[in-house]
Amino acid sequence: MKADIWKLLTLVVVLAMLVTSLAACGAPAPPPVPTELPPSEATAAPPPEATEAPEAEPVTLRVGATTIIDALNPATGWESYYLRYWFHDGLVEWAELNTFEPGLAESWTVSDDGLVWTFKIREGLTFHDGTPCTAEDIAWSLNLLMEEKFPPLIGYVYGFEEVIALDPTTVQITVSEPSALMISARLHYAFILPRSVWEGMTVDETMEFEDIRAVIGTGPYKLVEYAEDEYMIVEANEDYYRGKPVIDRIVIQQYATEDAMVQALLAGEVDLITEVPSTAVQPLQAAENVEVAIMDSLSVEDLVINSHVDGTQPESLNDPAVRLAIEYAIDKQKIIDVAYAGYGEVATSVLAPVMGDWFNTDLMAVPFDLDEANRILDEAGYVDSDGDGTREDADGNPLEYRLYAEEIGSYARAIEIISDGLRQIGISAPPTVMDGDALYDFLAPDWDFDMIYWGWGWDPDPDFAVSCFTCIQAEAGGLSDCGYCNEDFDAIYLQQARTLDHEERRELIWGAQEILFQDRPYIMIAYIPTIQAWRSDRFTFTDFSAGDVLRKWTLVRDPQPVR
Amino acid sequence: MQRSDYLIRRTFFALATLVAVVVFNFFLFRILPGDPVKAIIRSPRLTTAAREKLRVDFGLDKPIFFDGERLREGDVAGAFDTQFTAYVRALLRGNLGISFRSRRDVAEVLAERVWRTVVLVAGAETLAVVFGMALGLVSAWRRGTRLEMTILLWALFSWGLPTFFLGIVLLLLARGHLPVGGMVVPGLKPEAGLVYWVDVGRHLILPTLTMTIIYTSSYVLIMRSTAVEVLSEDYILTAKAKGLNTFQILRDHALKNAMLPMVTMVALNLGYTVGGAIQVETVFSWPGIGRLMYDAVQLRDYPVLQGVFLLLAVSVIAANLLADILYSVLDPRVKPE
Repeated sequence: MKADIWKLLTLVVVLAMLVTSLAACGAPAPPPVPTELPPSEATAAPPPEATEAPEAEPVTLRVGATTIIDALNPATGWESYYLRYWFHDGLVEWAELNTFEPGLAESWTVSDDGLVWTFKIREGLTFHDGTPCTAEDIAWSLNLLMEEKFPPLIGYVYGFEEVIALDPTTVQITVSEPSALMISARLHYAFILPRSVWEGMTVDETMEFEDIRAVIGTGPYKLVEYAEDEYMIVEANEDYYRGKPVIDRIVIQQYATEDAMVQALLAGEVDLITEVPSTAVQPLQAAENVEVAIMDSLSVEDLVINSHVDGTQPESLNDPAVRLAIEYAIDKQKIIDVAYAGYGEVATSVLAPVMGDWFNTDLMAVPFDLDEANRILDEAGYVDSDGDGTREDADGNPLEYRLYAEEIGSYARAIEIISDGLRQIGISAPPTVMDGDALYDFLAPDWDFDMIYWGWGWDPDPDFAVSCFTCIQAEAGGLSDCGYCNEDFDAIYLQQARTLDHEERRELIWGAQEILFQDRPYIMIAYIPTIQAWRSDRFTFTDFSAGDVLRKWTLVRDPQPVR
Repeated sequence: MQRSDYLIRRTFFALATLVAVVVFNFFLFRILPGDPVKAIIRSPRLTTAAREKLRVDFGLDKPIFFDGERLREGDVAGAFDTQFTAYVRALLRGNLGISFRSRRDVAEVLAERVWRTVVLVAGAETLAVVFGMALGLVSAWRRGTRLEMTILLWALFSWGLPTFFLGIVLLLLARGHLPVGGMVVPGLKPEAGLVYWVDVGRHLILPTLTMTIIYTSSYVLIMRSTAVEVLSEDYILTAKAKGLNTFQILRDHALKNAMLPMVTMVALNLGYTVGGAIQVETVFSWPGIGRLMYDAVQLRDYPVLQGVFLLLAVSVIAANLLADILYSVLDPRVKPE
């Protein structure tokens, strides 16, 4: 009897060993390295090292990312802008965090009335498929965008009346009114697309074009292969007008979670990861052969206060004194320390400091001061008359607010700290987290919330950030999440967009920030850095001026493989 | 005769369930909070006009079910020119729609993904059934011993383990030895032959192991409790008295009679695990159906979600039908009345 039970057990053990040995025999085999791969169908030519110098082994950078890539087609793809920049160029390029340099255009002039822009185009430009890119092709492409066949790009030719090629190296753009945004908020996003691919297509054909040729452009990298939710492989464009990029081949590996991505870097399965969660910074810094860069970014985190005239917020929340008291009661540094592992800066203006002189440095941060907050509320007549710990306004309505945040770990922790601070000044705001889309439903047209904690990633030009607070954006379909509407503010906004003189425009932008600081449709919490990490035993990165080592021009010249 | 009646009835119920699911599926996604157009357009720099244009492109400008206004005006055909009728019409033609995300045919996307999930789930289920039955039987036979306690404790423990947690722990343990995510090293193609399949196998180990551990526990528990019952039956005593050895008793008498609840459980689980792979596929970035569903929810990709749910519903219904049929075949007592 005893022997029989052992027979059965042995069976189980043998089976278990079979499985584990399967696992084990896989382990020692070195993982195939992408550089050894046979060239795929898309690269018809044999790898250059086969015919030329044999010692020039192609350099491959393996990038781990969690952003979902949606569509390759610029007419339907909204995500992964950094990838699109690799494939496509504009007339000008976004070089560093707030600087713009000549791109496909070498130089430009603008008429005195600010309506006619003339661009001198580089000579000898070609698209990835070998077709030339002359002034005529560029004019054709900008006209294509003006036809609204490419919804994600429509905004970047806004106000264009006519685009023509005067000769093979000159493009002339006529705009409907003077625009301060031509360079910094229009043309670097208005990608130049090849006629050889897109000519003669209807709107439907354009939208449904999912061929690999949809990403043909003039940029430093061309697409070799894309597998949805798996990876993307791109290859250097030898004919790129600023010279062949240092890295020959980039493989982007898609991870579904940040945890897996961080582990992949530690294991050396990827060389660089793009969105390091702040909680992973210390383990990565402690790891061998891993370096971490913490770079200023255009991301801001804010507490939105419902400011819409028809909103459902309690009347007391419209009182500037209450808003000021709330700001005094928020321990911003603690939020940064707890929710962002200390990586961030206490915020003052809606704009980010990296936006250069657009950022209003006169605004003084409101310190965390519960006594001052209590004093302000006392003075404004909000007292706790029934002794339940929550203040009431003159009509006896308690200062109870709905405080929401999206279901993101750092946001959830942030609103707990905010709620805690508010409780200490007699304001009841229990924290509630929910799905981001559910939050969107509280915005226009219902405006059915009191406070929401989340953030923005701004454009380098201040126009976009400021535009989000204009009256028109508070209408249905607009971008406003606070419902703020102020005619004086709108007037400043419109004027700055037309002001070509930098200093004049700067004063207007500073004024706009001052108004928002006083009215508090947002209480600004923190400026959050971009964190990237890479294997220092594989690559050296030294240029962090663009706030992203994968920004097109940084990527083209900066990374050096470790030999 | 009786059996074929039973089968026809079962099949009819299965089909009726399917129709209900098709209808339910459509409305399920329309009552979700959030606007697909807003979710698609993450770049917020879009004019209201362009937004409306997208809405028209996706057919989201039409009323969802029924246009009462137009019916009152006597326009019957117009009143039913809705998102729902468009959905049903397309479905009848076998058209699952076009993904909002990639603009690809949903059927094509599903076809590409489904075998990846099937490989993962089938492997894990098979291992789990084998281990589960063996451990369950052993613990029932050795009732009251330390061995049984150990197996039982382990089963209860792993039964309570959250899948994603176990996945992350295994991922940390195996880091450096096994790939932490994906299905294959980027760029490697099936044309590469054995190298490709070995690499896919390496990527499969961790997700399969995670699922196996989680599923084994429920089989152990089921098998053990059924076997304990069976082993107390008189015919087992008779078998012992006949002088059969333990292995024979377990194999020929205990196992066969304990198989019924197992079969039901396995069939039902097969239906659910296709959807249940979502956590494992997310932790290990395995590009199957579960991951597709996860992304589709984030992007409010209705056509893909509808396609995935239809697929899941079909597999659950088919598994149920299979369980019903197997049950009537395996157990002569279960004769449909």
